[in-house]
Amino acid sequence: MTGQALVHVVVSGLATGSIYALMAISLVIIYNATRTLNFAQGEMLMISTFVGWTAWQVLHAPLVVALAVAVVAAALLGFVLERVVIRHAISATHFDVLIITLGLSLMLRSAAGVTWTHDEFPFPSFFSNRPVVAGPIRVAPISLGIIGASLALMVALGALFRWTRLGRAMRAVAQNQRAARLMGISVERVYSSSWIIASVVGAVAGVLIAPVIFLSSKMGLVAINGFTAAVLGGFGSMPGAVVGGMLLGVLENLAPLYLPASIKHSVPFLVMITILIVRPGGLLGRVARRKV
Amino acid sequence: MRHAALATVAAVVVGWPWAAPRYFVFLASLIAINAIVAIGLNLLSGYTNQLSFGHAGFLAIGAYAAAILTIRAPALPVPATLLLAGLVTAAVGLALGVPCLRLEGLYLAMATLAFGFVVVEAILNLEWLTRGNDGLRVPAARIGPWILATDTARYYLVVAVAALLIVAAVNLSRTKTGRALLAVRESEIAAQASGVNLAAYKTLAFVVSAFYTGVAGGLFALVVGFLSPDSFDVFLSVDFVAMIIVGGLGSILGSVVGAAVITALNDSLAGFQNYRPLIFGAILVTSMLFMPGGIASALRKIPGAGARPPR
Repeated sequence: MTGQALVHVVVSGLATGSIYALMAISLVIIYNATRTLNFAQGEMLMISTFVGWTAWQVLHAPLVVALAVAVVAAALLGFVLERVVIRHAISATHFDVLIITLGLSLMLRSAAGVTWTHDEFPFPSFFSNRPVVAGPIRVAPISLGIIGASLALMVALGALFRWTRLGRAMRAVAQNQRAARLMGISVERVYSSSWIIASVVGAVAGVLIAPVIFLSSKMGLVAINGFTAAVLGGFGSMPGAVVGGMLLGVLENLAPLYLPASIKHSVPFLVMITILIVRPGGLLGRVARRKV
Repeated sequence: MRHAALATVAAVVVGWPWAAPRYFVFLASLIAINAIVAIGLNLLSGYTNQLSFGHAGFLAIGAYAAAILTIRAPALPVPATLLLAGLVTAAVGLALGVPCLRLEGLYLAMATLAFGFVVVEAILNLEWLTRGNDGLRVPAARIGPWILATDTARYYLVVAVAALLIVAAVNLSRTKTGRALLAVRESEIAAQASGVNLAAYKTLAFVVSAFYTGVAGGLFALVVGFLSPDSFDVFLSVDFVAMIIVGGLGSILGSVVGAAVITALNDSLAGFQNYRPLIFGAILVTSMLFMPGGIASALRKIPGAGARPPR
């Protein structure tokens, strides 16, 4: 294997990895607020991308419009789901909420199939797919574009969490809900914003990745890799989600070079089982000690 | 009252093949098989609060084990085949259950989900054993001189095994072990403080659950007669979870009712594949929001209608 090809493989791995990282981040945002895993995250991504694509098709508008429509649709979807369904299960156990989001994911996927069929559609991209050769290095602009856009979004999220009032409130709720409430933070508002932000992050990830994996009702499955990425980095930790996503993307792309090619689809699951068994806290996370 | 109800149920179950059309005999077999899986899953999820999204994987292991045994060792009587299928699956359950002791809640759910995917990938890739994507045809099994060639014969086999396993589960839930499992569900810390060996009982639940599902898998292989990896996808695992949610967590009777409802619903929606997950999802969401105890707890509110509430 030449160094040039290796660079190509690693860079495209980082590109898929940054999508996994975005999915991991949106899962972690919801987890940190409501302590539940949102099984419907991938399907929310899929629906928003489909809505953006439909707007693009109907309006013959530039691709930026598709992105904008997808983001608005995602915000709306996140808000409605949290308000109409999840809010009512506020006192239910994690187990129950897990089942509810699972039910939602089935419903959303089925609804997408009914509306847009279960076929695969090509999706336009902001970036070209043709590799560019720069000296000894050969990369596809689309990979660099995905990585760049994802990093920009991550930086924006980081700033949001660090410097805004809402971000501080979200971090406070993640740390200790009761204390946050006593400090006058509206926990309900944090729930609502968390679902909206997570959904929007998903929509951006969807518009970025759809040109690569095609637009289809199945594309929500990318959320499973997002979960693996989050676990790999340490569930609940934002930097962990980014590192885990990138690492998983690269691993997934490198594994077929050294192992049988059919292993590619099993990589995320094998990584997840291994990390859960060996180091359940993830690379950057800590295992929460349970106090009696 | 209870004896009369039990006798009526028994009479209907025994007389079913004579009263119902052939296809419904097959469907009833499927219901009984799913009921076994649902009980197995409920012993794990309903009793010890360990949610599994990988039971389609266990079912696949049991089914392929039974199919391969029937093909390679045709002289083996069916009960032995089923027992071996159950034991193989239980061994896998042990291998998965011990490392999973460290996980709880959603981590466990995701690990078992991953397990289900890995099993399907393994079946696809172990072509010399499983024939991969081509699928595996299962020959008719035999008990001594009888060959189980008709739907009715297979139905009676399935029902007999299911009855045995239901009685075993009911008895188990009333023993010290059953109480210990329930205690684990209510509060792991309190159970531990009362002298329940947490690791041992959680592992036991995993093994017993895998055994039940493995036996059901063996029956599935015999009844359906053809196995292919795509029959065991993650949506089947979700169906199993739906059965115990709808039926009632921590209830044996609920498992059976849930299995019947979901299997019959699945079958009647066969013509509406596009809407099936929509309806299933809606059932999961609404039953979690409005009926968290499942059908079993709704039944309990009717006076004189049976089992004491474990929840």
